[in-house]
Amino acid sequence: MEPGLTSLLSVSIDFETSHLFFPRIIHWLMGGLFALILVLRILPFLASVRRGERTLPILGESFDKFRFFGSLALMAVYFYLMAVVGDLFPYTGYGFLFVSMVFIFLMSLMYMHTRTKRKVMTAAINAIVAPSLAWFILAKLFQITLP
Amino acid sequence: MLDILSLLDITFFLLAALGALVGIIFGAIPGMTATMAVAVCLPLTYALGLHHGLALLLGLYVGGISGGMVPAVLLNIPGTPSSITTTFDGYPMAQKGEGERALRVCVVASVVGGLISAIVLFLFAPILAEFSIKFSYVEKFLIILLALTVIASMSSNMLVGIFSGVLGIWLSLIGTYSISDGGNGKTRLMFDFLEPYLFEGFSLLPVLIGIFGIATILLEAEKGVKSGLSGKTINIGKGGGFSFSLFKGRATNLVRSSFIGTFVGMLPGVGGSAASVLAYTQEKNLSRDSSEMGKGAPQGLIASESANNALTGGALIPLLSLGIPGDSTTAVLIGAFTLQGIQVGPLFIPENADTWYVMMTALVFANIVMFFLMFYAIKHIAKVVLVPKYILYPLIVMMCVVGAYAINYGIMFDVWTLLIFGVLGYLIQKVGLEVAPLIIGFILGSQAEVYFVKSLESFGTFAIFFTKSPIAMVLWGLIAASVAFSVVMGLKSRARRRGEES
Amino acid sequence: MSMPNIYKTLGTSVLMAGMAFGSSVAMAADGPLRGNVRVVIGSTSTGGDTYQNSNIVVDALAEHLDLNMKVDAVGATAAFRALDRDARGNTLMIFHDQSYLGHLYGVEGYDNIFEKYTIGPTVAINPGNAYLVPKDSPYENLNQIIEAVGNGETVRVAIQPGGVSEIGFSALKNAISIEHPGMEDNLVAVNTGSQADKNQQLFDGQADLINGTVQANEQYTRLPEDDQKAMRFVWLTARNSTIQQAPEDGLGKTSREELLEFVEPNVNVTMGDENFTFDKEFFFLYNKDMDPAIVDQIDDALTEIYAEGDIQDVQKNSFFIPNFKPSDEAAEYLENKRAVYEDIITNIQ
Repeated sequence: MEPGLTSLLSVSIDFETSHLFFPRIIHWLMGGLFALILVLRILPFLASVRRGERTLPILGESFDKFRFFGSLALMAVYFYLMAVVGDLFPYTGYGFLFVSMVFIFLMSLMYMHTRTKRKVMTAAINAIVAPSLAWFILAKLFQITLP
Repeated sequence: MLDILSLLDITFFLLAALGALVGIIFGAIPGMTATMAVAVCLPLTYALGLHHGLALLLGLYVGGISGGMVPAVLLNIPGTPSSITTTFDGYPMAQKGEGERALRVCVVASVVGGLISAIVLFLFAPILAEFSIKFSYVEKFLIILLALTVIASMSSNMLVGIFSGVLGIWLSLIGTYSISDGGNGKTRLMFDFLEPYLFEGFSLLPVLIGIFGIATILLEAEKGVKSGLSGKTINIGKGGGFSFSLFKGRATNLVRSSFIGTFVGMLPGVGGSAASVLAYTQEKNLSRDSSEMGKGAPQGLIASESANNALTGGALIPLLSLGIPGDSTTAVLIGAFTLQGIQVGPLFIPENADTWYVMMTALVFANIVMFFLMFYAIKHIAKVVLVPKYILYPLIVMMCVVGAYAINYGIMFDVWTLLIFGVLGYLIQKVGLEVAPLIIGFILGSQAEVYFVKSLESFGTFAIFFTKSPIAMVLWGLIAASVAFSVVMGLKSRARRRGEES
Repeated sequence: MSMPNIYKTLGTSVLMAGMAFGSSVAMAADGPLRGNVRVVIGSTSTGGDTYQNSNIVVDALAEHLDLNMKVDAVGATAAFRALDRDARGNTLMIFHDQSYLGHLYGVEGYDNIFEKYTIGPTVAINPGNAYLVPKDSPYENLNQIIEAVGNGETVRVAIQPGGVSEIGFSALKNAISIEHPGMEDNLVAVNTGSQADKNQQLFDGQADLINGTVQANEQYTRLPEDDQKAMRFVWLTARNSTIQQAPEDGLGKTSREELLEFVEPNVNVTMGDENFTFDKEFFFLYNKDMDPAIVDQIDDALTEIYAEGDIQDVQKNSFFIPNFKPSDEAAEYLENKRAVYEDIITNIQ
């Protein structure tokens, strides 16, 4: 190998900053690829949006706002309350157990289109049985720590 | 030999079967993994004694890895990280109403993979261990790179796919450059105020089930969760349209993938998920008719599932002949030995011949039990898609929460990771990025970093990647072939699209 | 499903949940420690020594106090964070010397435990911290390595940076700087990760000496010399008195007698006036604001458990050396221990 090439290929990594070495390479790769995508894909796409041939993703689409944002909000509240309630009964899994029951019931109701008595009843039973079963098997039988 | 027979009593086989059953259930629940199954049952083994305990744990291991196919196919959520590639073809098949057929293909592939790897383990463990230590940081990096080349061949638009993959790698680097990998333990790619949460970065399993499970639910919610059922139709009929003739002409794939799985499992530090990814890549590259892969081709399932079950035997090779676990589950398995005061190391097999034969028996038996349990239960399991969505989806969220919380023994941030990656997964699909390459980048990214940086630290030159050893050169050959192949395929499919358009 | 059936199912499940709820609330709790207790450990491995040792101690405690206690392998940073948040005593932590060595080495995520937490009792020692060379290494013993480095030879040592694995390396470097001033930079650290990685460095010829453990590497030392994987102990960092307490059979096929060849006074790593030793000790860490009555309760319980004497057998069976010191004694002892290692680390910087 020629000396020029050898020195070109040689690299010395300082241990103290070695955590930045690989991310730097990835940043360059990402930047380069993004520039390519911008020129080859995004700009033509935006141009066609302006001409009215296509619509922007998410913003230009019609969607079920109630169920989409409802799901997001319900999950966020679920995760949050689980930890809060769980903290009242440390390491018993009750936070998971009780909050899951409420969450499952509410989410079932939200996803139902027609709410017959029978369907609501099934959802209620499911909301009580499923978390109880999961909690009993995992937290009690297998002693897995739950919130 | 008679000594060994006396160790194999009825209880032994019952425990192995029970392990397989419980393992399948764990694996089949989204968010629960084989590793978790083995971890929670570990304390039981103290009471059971070594041989009975091992029967249970190996059953759990085999069952857990296999069970992962169920949610992968039916719900598009990989039950365990290594069944990620099963979703690529399994879910499209399930959507076409072929869920049962897909699962049967998976089961057959799994048992073949499991048994082939068991045979390899039994016959060649010490020799292969000798071979595996020839793989230093440099060769391991090249293996990861080879697996990463699948990104190019599996993306529908190569540029976008590669970008998604690199984005996945970037996401995997968030957190510390871990000292347990020999890094300097410093954090990067985040703001200081996030450090308490993101110190260890995002965990793999919550990311996976978030990006697949939660994102799927969000996409459905956006459409209003319209149809009551999650599967459109189900092909009812004998075996759901499955017959062994599906495997005709697939023997090469089956055997190749099983060997790849065993081989990757055997390399310590190269994660289990790399096995199925690599097998999937190779099938995609080498098979003559791979254009349907990713749209619901049984051959993809065969590659993925035979490889991920072959992991089991493979990962036991370094465990039993070097004392080094080959994947996360065998790392937990070490606990079973230390609990009993048994050392695992290069002299384990010669010094514990009884235990060695007992383990082989348990492994083979567990695979067979797994096959019969699953093959005949699938009819019923596949009906999961008949459960109304308003019942099924809340349950999936709940189980994902349990899995995410439990995977690192109780960390709340892992549950939030679900939501973060659920939303991210949703956005990614909306803006037209590709999920599969991103997730493969995420899975392999942090290993790629460690092996890449450590190779350079040791040798101080990029040239080492080419000159280190004959193994490295062979790997480069494979990488080049894989890249060339995907470029050719990309051009071909573009030409075909053009042809169709005009 | 018909209606009566539904009510039946509903009733049963409520009953079941109720029973389970009731059973776990009705718990004997005479002392200040009550409810379910979670013991987080600084390691993420359930196959490792921290988990195994913590389980032995926690099982004994749970039985003695009649409480539900559970060990969770969450890892150092997550464990410290869980401990920070809970002053009620429902979260306890067990870890080893890494907890303060991490801070001494300036690893992110480690604070000064002596300021931030209450130090609980020590419970055991893992005597296995070791250094090994390839079996065909030109260095017969550690002394030759020190001499060689002193004569300007470069010796590469594979360690995991920032803690227990590095402290022996630092001490060695310190000893070289005392005996052969200015030559210590010839001892080079090869920063790597798991035991597998360290072994691999040795097999690849990328390291001349590696950090390991008696438990993980003993079988490698019994391989024939022509095997690429064969290794040889040159140094165990434990105190002579610690190894003296190990079972006579030692570990695997290496007896206590043989192990004693690799500790002081047979192997000396000087710190100036005395020799360096390092015992990896496991101890409890508590939230600073936790009720002191709980500290006493656990101290008392462990005193009784160790007085009964069964736990020692279990520990020794798993190659741990029982080492119970109540909280006050442990805190003082560990602070002194840290001061010694702090000197070493500042010396070589």
